Formats: sequence, structure tokens, C-alpha cells
Amino acid sequence: MEPDFDDEDDHIYINEETELGRGNVLVSHAPKQRIVPPLNFCPVERYLYRSGQPSPVNFQFLLDLQLKTIIWLANEEPQDTLLEFCDSHAIQLQFATINPDGGEDDNPWDGLTEHSIIAALQTIVNAENYPLLVCCGMGRHRTGTVIGCLRRIMGWNLASVSEEYRRFAGSRGGRILVELLIEAFDTQLVEIDRVKAPQWLLQDAQ
Amino acid sequence: MVYIPPLNFAPVVSTEVSLYRSGYPMPLNYHFIADQLHLKTVIYVGDKDISEDYKEFLDSQGIRYEFVHVESCRDANINTQMNQVLRKVLDKKNYPILIHSNKGKHRVGVVVGIIRKLFQGWSTTGIYQEYGIFSGGLKGEVDLEFITMFDTQLVVRRDGVPDFVKLPSDGGDYREFDGRNKP
Repeated sequence: MEPDFDDEDDHIYINEETELGRGNVLVSHAPKQRIVPPLNFCPVERYLYRSGQPSPVNFQFLLDLQLKTIIWLANEEPQDTLLEFCDSHAIQLQFATINPDGGEDDNPWDGLTEHSIIAALQTIVNAENYPLLVCCGMGRHRTGTVIGCLRRIMGWNLASVSEEYRRFAGSRGGRILVELLIEAFDTQLVEIDRVKAPQWLLQDAQ
Repeated sequence: MVYIPPLNFAPVVSTEVSLYRSGYPMPLNYHFIADQLHLKTVIYVGDKDISEDYKEFLDSQGIRYEFVHVESCRDANINTQMNQVLRKVLDKKNYPILIHSNKGKHRVGVVVGIIRKLFQGWSTTGIYQEYGIFSGGLKGEVDLEFITMFDTQLVVRRDGVPDFVKLPSDGGDYREFDGRNKP
């Protein structure tokens, strides 16, 4: 296959450089090292990401994100390998326990409490914690709850928030309880320090 | 004020540059796009002529509109069309960019899949999964096959390439090109 030179506006520019023999690069097939995103991975906003629980196969991918913080939305600890990974790369791992008072009686399928949603969001509205990954077991319902509440703080309309939540909820669809939780969430409970908030959050608050 | 993002809206890359994906923006989305995205370029991969109100909106915001005519990845000239999109993505000065199709599922899914593969080195399963999230579980085997098989040969300005694209110095499999060493 012949290289495809731009035949439009950049034409002269590129020819100049070709004569100099420098400054151009050939972009062709994929990089040799393949990276594997965690389950349900997606960017949310600048330097903010969501996913399911990362496993060792995802670590190289996570390194590329240069994470400073991971928010883990569960009562139980994540796998030891993830704890070690965070430890050895100075990534702050924040537990946002579903229900801190639940103890042994807690079910893994329980929704998040208001308390834990606020705890996670307080970390998210502080740019000092970025780049940041929000994750739970599958990256569906708990992560979806927190991101949904964040979207409400950002001023998104409810139907769009639900559309985003359901997109990640898998083939069985969204849980009505999660959507009710997002709808009922009082966005005023999250204190936003304008000095520390990420830029994209402030555009709405003006 | 309530923001209504376009259908299937999401960031694709959200680092030093912003690349977004979505379905076709409607008038009720214009406020969100103007206030939140600060776009420089919109790339439409699709088959419809631009609507009058959309054109007016883009003009009023000073957003450059690039129309890349694509019916599906089975088009005869699909490689040329795809290279046209990739060339825009490989140039920092076009950012922030929104790439959209009609529903933000298949055509955009193919473009994003190719970016994930060629520029970022994502595994095939990761690419398939992302395609599935936005296509609502529809399999789209032809699209996935196309992403897997697609290859390109693009010569671009090195200093225009955004940081998220993996180049030789960071382990990518790319070669310097001086105009003589034909690949």
C-alpha cells in the first residue's frame, strides 16, 4: 500500500518537511504492546475514568492512565493483586464502603448509601486526586450510581443520566432502584471547593 | 439550566486533548455542546446532508464541520474515508473534536475501534466490549471484522500528533519517514 499523503490543506506543509527528511512520522499498524482495558472501562470527564474491578491483565493499561487515585465501591477489599499494584505505584486507594454500619449482614448487591455516594463524590470534585478511576465489581450499578449523581451535579437532565447509566448496566438493563437513588440525590450535600474543583465542573456552576 | 448531551455521548479520549463521540446533535443539545465542549471540529461520518439549524449553530460557534460520507464499513471507498477521519484525529490543532454519526452506535463505533487499535494498542476484546456498550449489545460482526482487519499507512507531522497516540519513543511500532524510505 502506498502511503497516503494528505491531498488537501496540509499538502505544502508536508512536502516541505519531506524535503527536509525530518519531522514526519509514518503511522501504520497497531503498537506491538497491546493493552487491555478493564471491564466496562470508559472515560467520564478529563482525567476521570470508570470501570469494573481491574485485574493484573489490566495493569499496563492502568499505568498508561497515570492514576493518582482509585475509588473502590464495595464493602469487601479488592483482590490482593490490586492492593499491591496500588501500593507499588503510589496510587491512593479509597474505599467507599456501601454501608459502613452493615457489617457482616451486608449484601454485595445492596445499593450505595447516601453517605458512601457523598464520600466518593467529595473525592471526585477535588482535582488534586486526579487522574482518578471510579470502579466496583462489574463497573455497572455502584459506579453508575456515583457517576449518575455526578452528572446531576453537572446539571445533566435526568433522561440523559439514565441513558448513560443503562448503557453500562448490561443486557439485563438498569435497576430502577439505582435510578431512583440518582433522582432523589440531593446535589447540595456535596461541597464544592471552587479552588480545587476540576475545570469542567466549574463551567456549570457559573 | 439543564444540559442535554446528544444521544450516546461520551468522551473517547479525555487527557491533554478531548475527543468525544455521539449521535447526531439535535437543537436541544446545542446548549450543552456550546457550554461544555468548546469544540473546534465536528466530524460527521454519515450519509445525510447537514440540516439548516445545525449548520447555523456550528457557524455561530466557529466550529469547523467535516463531512465524511460513510454509509457503512462495506462502502467501496471506506479506506479513503477512514484515513480522512484519522488524519484529523492525528492533528492536535483540530481539538477538541466531536465525531458523530446518526445514532452514535455503528459508524462511530468503527472509527473509535480503529483509534483504540492503531493509536492506543487496545486488545481486541476491549475494543469489542466498548463497541457493544454503545451499540446496545448489538453484535455488528461486520463492523468488528472491519476494525480487526483495517490497516493504514499515514504520513503525518510528528509534532502535530497528540500525546495519547503511541509513537516509536513510547514503544509503538512506527517508523520515521523521510519521503524516500518507502514502506
